[in-house]
Amino acid sequence: MIRFDDIEVTFGEHIAIPKLNLEVEQGEFFTLLGPSGCGKTTALRTLAGFIEPSAGEIYIGGKAATKLPSEKRSVGMVFQNYALFPSMSVRENIAFGLKVRKTHRAETDRLVDEIAAQVELTSEQLAKNVSELSGGQQQRVAIARALVLKPRILLLDEPLSNLDAKLRVQLREQLKNLQRELGITTVYVTHDQEEALTMSDRIAVFNHGVVEQVGTPEEIYNRSATEFVATFVGAMNRLTGEFMQQLRHAGGSTLAPDKSSYLRLEKVALQEPAHGASVRLHGVIADRVYQGSHSTYTIDSHGSRIRALVPEGGALPLVAGAAATLYIDPSAVLQY
Amino acid sequence: MRNSSWRAMLRSPLVVIVLVVLVWFIATFLVLPNANLLISTFFPDGKLSFRALEKLISSERALKSLWHSFALAATLAVTVNVVGIFIVLVTDYFKIRGSRVLWLGYATTLIYGGIVLAAGYNFIYGKNGFITNAALNVFPDIDPNWFSGYFAVVVVMTLATTTNHMLFLGSSLAKIDYQTIEAARNMGASTWRILWRIVLPALRPMIFAVTVLTFLTGLGALTAPLVLGGTDFQTIAPMILTFSKSSGSRDLAALLAIILGLATIVLLAMMNRVEKSGTYFSVAKVATPLQKQPIRNPLANVLVHVAAYVLFVVYALPVLLIVLFSFLESTAISTGTITWDSFTLANYATVFGTPSVLKPFVVSVVYSALASLIVVLGMLFVARVFQKHRNPVTTLLEYLLHIPWILPTILIALALVMTFDRPNPLIGGQVLTGTTVLLLVAYVIVKIPFTLRLLKAAFASVPESLEDAARILGAGPLFTLRTVLVPLVLPTAAAITALNFNSLLDDYDTAVFLYHPLYEPLGLAIRASTEGENNLDAMSITFVYTVLLMIIMGFTMWLVYGRGGARGRRGVRRGTRRAGAGAGPGAAAAPVAVPVPAAAVATVSPAPTPAPRA
Repeated sequence: MIRFDDIEVTFGEHIAIPKLNLEVEQGEFFTLLGPSGCGKTTALRTLAGFIEPSAGEIYIGGKAATKLPSEKRSVGMVFQNYALFPSMSVRENIAFGLKVRKTHRAETDRLVDEIAAQVELTSEQLAKNVSELSGGQQQRVAIARALVLKPRILLLDEPLSNLDAKLRVQLREQLKNLQRELGITTVYVTHDQEEALTMSDRIAVFNHGVVEQVGTPEEIYNRSATEFVATFVGAMNRLTGEFMQQLRHAGGSTLAPDKSSYLRLEKVALQEPAHGASVRLHGVIADRVYQGSHSTYTIDSHGSRIRALVPEGGALPLVAGAAATLYIDPSAVLQY
Repeated sequence: MRNSSWRAMLRSPLVVIVLVVLVWFIATFLVLPNANLLISTFFPDGKLSFRALEKLISSERALKSLWHSFALAATLAVTVNVVGIFIVLVTDYFKIRGSRVLWLGYATTLIYGGIVLAAGYNFIYGKNGFITNAALNVFPDIDPNWFSGYFAVVVVMTLATTTNHMLFLGSSLAKIDYQTIEAARNMGASTWRILWRIVLPALRPMIFAVTVLTFLTGLGALTAPLVLGGTDFQTIAPMILTFSKSSGSRDLAALLAIILGLATIVLLAMMNRVEKSGTYFSVAKVATPLQKQPIRNPLANVLVHVAAYVLFVVYALPVLLIVLFSFLESTAISTGTITWDSFTLANYATVFGTPSVLKPFVVSVVYSALASLIVVLGMLFVARVFQKHRNPVTTLLEYLLHIPWILPTILIALALVMTFDRPNPLIGGQVLTGTTVLLLVAYVIVKIPFTLRLLKAAFASVPESLEDAARILGAGPLFTLRTVLVPLVLPTAAAITALNFNSLLDDYDTAVFLYHPLYEPLGLAIRASTEGENNLDAMSITFVYTVLLMIIMGFTMWLVYGRGGARGRRGVRRGTRRAGAGAGPGAAAAPVAVPVPAAAVATVSPAPTPAPRA
């Protein structure tokens, strides 16, 4: 559906994206994930037609679209700050694109009402000025305005970043459901790894304008292709040389001794697991942080400070200073 | 702001039209007249000549006027700071009972300045003035001319030019992080030590800026020396006016205007340099709003209260008397004997019922309205082009449009008179001097920098994502401009129009050089009323004019700043810039933008709007 072919974007002397190659499938929820300034929004704006690449080609639906103006690419976009027109009502905002296309008034009203119902906006809200709506409602208006023209692609530039945590979780579910319902190809930009993991069909992880890995959320999380992806997505224990030596000695002999080694927090158990091969290492509890459904333990072990997630309700809690045994599956160690 | 090559810019026919008109306007009305002034002064016969300079050196009057101007400017730099800082402190920093009322009294200069203010003081304190006459009844030996010359000019201009302090210094004061004051107090610092070591140093750049503005105002003062200076105290500007009337001394007038312009440029450059030299305001991530400070020493508290209210009376009395006198028979004012029978509406009836008396008022309203509308309409397009297309061409044009900010109005007016007194091919071979058009052109010119700067800020405050959103929804540039951008900048444009209108209404400085004899503006009529010995009817009519002006200006200020109640008033007092109506959803519903020029504006404006006029 969408293809970035050797896309390069420069701003004066600065190369924001050196060479981008990506493909997004029809109906896919595709996320561009990365820290601030990594080039993900630049890539999205290039796809939208707001930035002209200095080299390469963008294909939409198999056709070259690099030279097409944004309004001819059949893309709808939801901006980070929603970009709602403050001088217009909610209905006028949603109908703006239809008005530009000189759609008949009755048809405009019908389409606006239809999309408003889909994004759960009431008729009272349609009559209001956009400033009278809450952040979540404004976000719905922005989505409705982008979708009312029935674009082939929906672009979302960190649309949840201005909302509070609870609303963000609620809206990301609704957004995903809406996308699934409409089957629209969606490109989503975020720096929030949790958002990316929970919503996406596939994720492209950006770093300094370069895509480090493209894959499903599971692939990105469990089989991170690069050290950057491993450390950027999810929390990690970085293992020291001394710890690795002990781990190899205790049963992880297949692990390379001279590589950077990482272990996810949930891959460290403080009680012997019922299944799976694991090796034991000893340590001392340094700290425990209670987090409701689970606790995060910090254990000093062989020169490493290891964190472990332990669900509530087990035989623990252990107190600081207590001896602890770590159970680790060597195959869970990621090395780069 | 977007970068855009000039080639990309020229793809739009609308932009091309705007640029062509702009280049013509800049060349014809901004560059040519001022270049012509320089050439006619130093190359009168096509060869370099210092004849004008020699004339200046040999003219005692001219040299004296130069000395007087610099002496006045230096004096004002001190007196205006003393009064202005005091006013800001008692209204915004110290806990003073009735500070809002005090603020209203001090703010009278916002609606009352220039020739009107000078004439008002003359009618009250000058020879034949009400107070002077009343005093003469008690002390027959006092000099009836006691309120004239250097002293009178300094007093009037000191009171008239504290407006800058109220607007800009008040704004700076509001930006001080209150936690720095609390921290100082926590370490045992007294009220005065905090003021001296924490507050005033933080205000230093703004104090410097307003000092420069004050100095420039003093240097270029026209109306106050003209009305109150008498024969012994004339400054550069009145001299320029006098010399420009004769063709034999026009080169001298031009040279004096150039000296005034040079001094302005040097001082503004100095001010820019100082302004860039450091951070004085809060470095806190979350600054705490300033809270008013009690004066803990009871004696000091009483003294400050007394001084604040005495000053209030000084400010408010002329305004109150003018309103009162506008309802009095002229003989009652001159004799100083007021009874209930003296009150009359005859003065108002004369103004509204006599076409010839009302005419100056109408002429000024028409000129001000036309100029304000033209400049805002024109700059709407220009600001949009400058904001959207940032490249060396637009940067150069923008700099050139700021010429009226670095040159005194008198110089601009004189340059226009001297350039368009013969057929000029750039204006289709027409002569503009002596026509009604030239004054309108001058009004448009002098309002360009202020208008452009604020409209550009208004456009810049509209998030780019709004334009992107319109574009991705299929809207073209004109449709986006009409439906998305203009509604957002309209409140700012309306506010600028109102402020421009206000500041031109009682103009004298420009009009005196460029007016058409058959269409004499209000400033000239008021000035005429101050001349002669016993022009009592003219005086009464001037009082009515003044009251009408104050009503219009007060109403305009309320429209621009006051709507929205206390928030609006804080806007004026703190100079907060909400020029960005439309910075986000709902911004259009915000009150009218408050384009009070802050320090940035002050840096390049010898007379920002609203400006003290004296």
